[in-house]
Amino acid sequence: MRTLWQAIGAEWGKLWSVRSTWWSLACAFALTVPTAVTLGAATATDAVREGVAGVRITASEPVVSATSFVQFALVALAMLTITSEYASGGIRITLQATPARGVMLAAKALVVAPVMFVAGVLSGAVATVAVHLVLSIDVFGGLVVLPVGEVVLDLLGVGVFFALVSVMTIGVGAAMRSAAGTLTVVFMLLMGLPLMLLMTGSQAAVDASMRMPMFAGLAFMGSTDNMTGGPIPYSAGEGLVWLLAWAAVAVAAGHAVLRRRDA
Amino acid sequence: MISLKGLTKRYGDRLAVDDLSLELKPGTVTGFLGPNGSGKSTTMRLILGLDRPTAGTALVGGVPYQRIRNPLRTVGALLDARAVHPGRSGHAHLVALARSNGIARRRVGEVLETVGMAGAARKRAGTLSLGMSQRLGIAAALLGDPEVLMFDEPVNGLDPDGVRWVRGLMRSLAAEGRTVFVSSHLMSEMQLTADHLVVIGKGRLIMDAPLADVLAGSSLTAVLVRTPHAGDLAARLRADGIKVDRLGENELEATGAAIERIGDLAHEAGIRLHGLRTREASLEQAYQELTSDSVEYGAGV
Repeated sequence: MRTLWQAIGAEWGKLWSVRSTWWSLACAFALTVPTAVTLGAATATDAVREGVAGVRITASEPVVSATSFVQFALVALAMLTITSEYASGGIRITLQATPARGVMLAAKALVVAPVMFVAGVLSGAVATVAVHLVLSIDVFGGLVVLPVGEVVLDLLGVGVFFALVSVMTIGVGAAMRSAAGTLTVVFMLLMGLPLMLLMTGSQAAVDASMRMPMFAGLAFMGSTDNMTGGPIPYSAGEGLVWLLAWAAVAVAAGHAVLRRRDA
Repeated sequence: MISLKGLTKRYGDRLAVDDLSLELKPGTVTGFLGPNGSGKSTTMRLILGLDRPTAGTALVGGVPYQRIRNPLRTVGALLDARAVHPGRSGHAHLVALARSNGIARRRVGEVLETVGMAGAARKRAGTLSLGMSQRLGIAAALLGDPEVLMFDEPVNGLDPDGVRWVRGLMRSLAAEGRTVFVSSHLMSEMQLTADHLVVIGKGRLIMDAPLADVLAGSSLTAVLVRTPHAGDLAARLRADGIKVDRLGENELEATGAAIERIGDLAHEAGIRLHGLRTREASLEQAYQELTSDSVEYGAGV
């Protein structure tokens, strides 16, 4: 246990002592706000055009939808905590200091996940405020609302989603070791495969697609408006279970490779 | 402190380390020699638990590396000086290592001072010269004040002052009772630094002996004799199976026998000697002789 705490301290220090961390976080913030505002404006414009009475847009709803795009800036950050060590050879020193592979991997995940959670909540909060401000302009029909309880839940959901995606990325990174391989696998898991499966149109493929991390995350965050064109056909709780399962499988794969392969 | 038993590492169909058994003792600098690709770095990685042995064991103080609690406080190692995130400062690198092993933070300043890079500690590692990177790597190895130190080619990229400094550092670490294991290609440097030599070729142990024995055992170590009866003595020595070359009217060079034996034989034969001395082979010559048939990538004339 003490070893884990020490390793966490080391990983924390390493995370903040390279510029790429700051760049990735800045990118996540810079992407979230305009993406959420654009998505919100599109929804509002559609609603105004269709003129259906009683439609309301929760200001955090477009922020939840924006995660599908913003996630990659944070994937980059999570990925670099492990692939940059393989690129420089620094992983050998890390493993000299912390030879227990599981402890090393856990330390990275336990440092990156909370950072991602906070980044998700904070960037989401800023974007929610921005969405509310923009959609309050007359042309958007004044449909935007800011129900505090719902917004807080949405933002916490975004934070948890980012945290779990980053844990999954660290697992994949430990298994793949290279940045190119990790990015490819994570992109396929998050977006490539689910969209390909959706396009096949067969029910089994669509069902499988819905269980992949991005749609599981949207289900967990209670998204109703996303690229599937409707709500995900299962509960938020089930979405969380699928997300946790993906993160666990990735970490187990990373751990297995760390134990078997030479560093 | 370090004990290897039947250590073997196979990569595909290539044996990188082949049934290597060794004991490294505290208080000595053990030089680790061998041609490129002979398995020196692999052996060090196996000791550090970075690679898994195909067979055999590598123990540090009786346990595998992975079982040592806070291992940097027992074993300090420099494998590859460039293996630091290029965007991280040397100082931040050392602080993270110190934290990971519960080492007091003041040690960071101390080791930076020891290796003479306090001024460059805040620079990003990617901007350091190879020499400065070596110093940072040595600082990391010293950080935990460990009993065992391993250095893979530590003088690589250092200027003559740096080389002399590393030599002094190795000697003083051994003098403090630590176990120092250092690989190098620079034979003249090893001859000045090491007490004990381990030579491997193609992953196999070729020699594990004190430096003095290695030098004395070389066929190039010769006894030079000056005598007015060179012809008689040469015949007498050859009769005993000693190889003799006549260098001049009064001079002989005998190889394959110790100086005492030559003197005794001359005395028994009643031959007067005007000079008798040993000309030691250099480590370079002794090493060439030992490894001539195990060079992995020979030039093949």
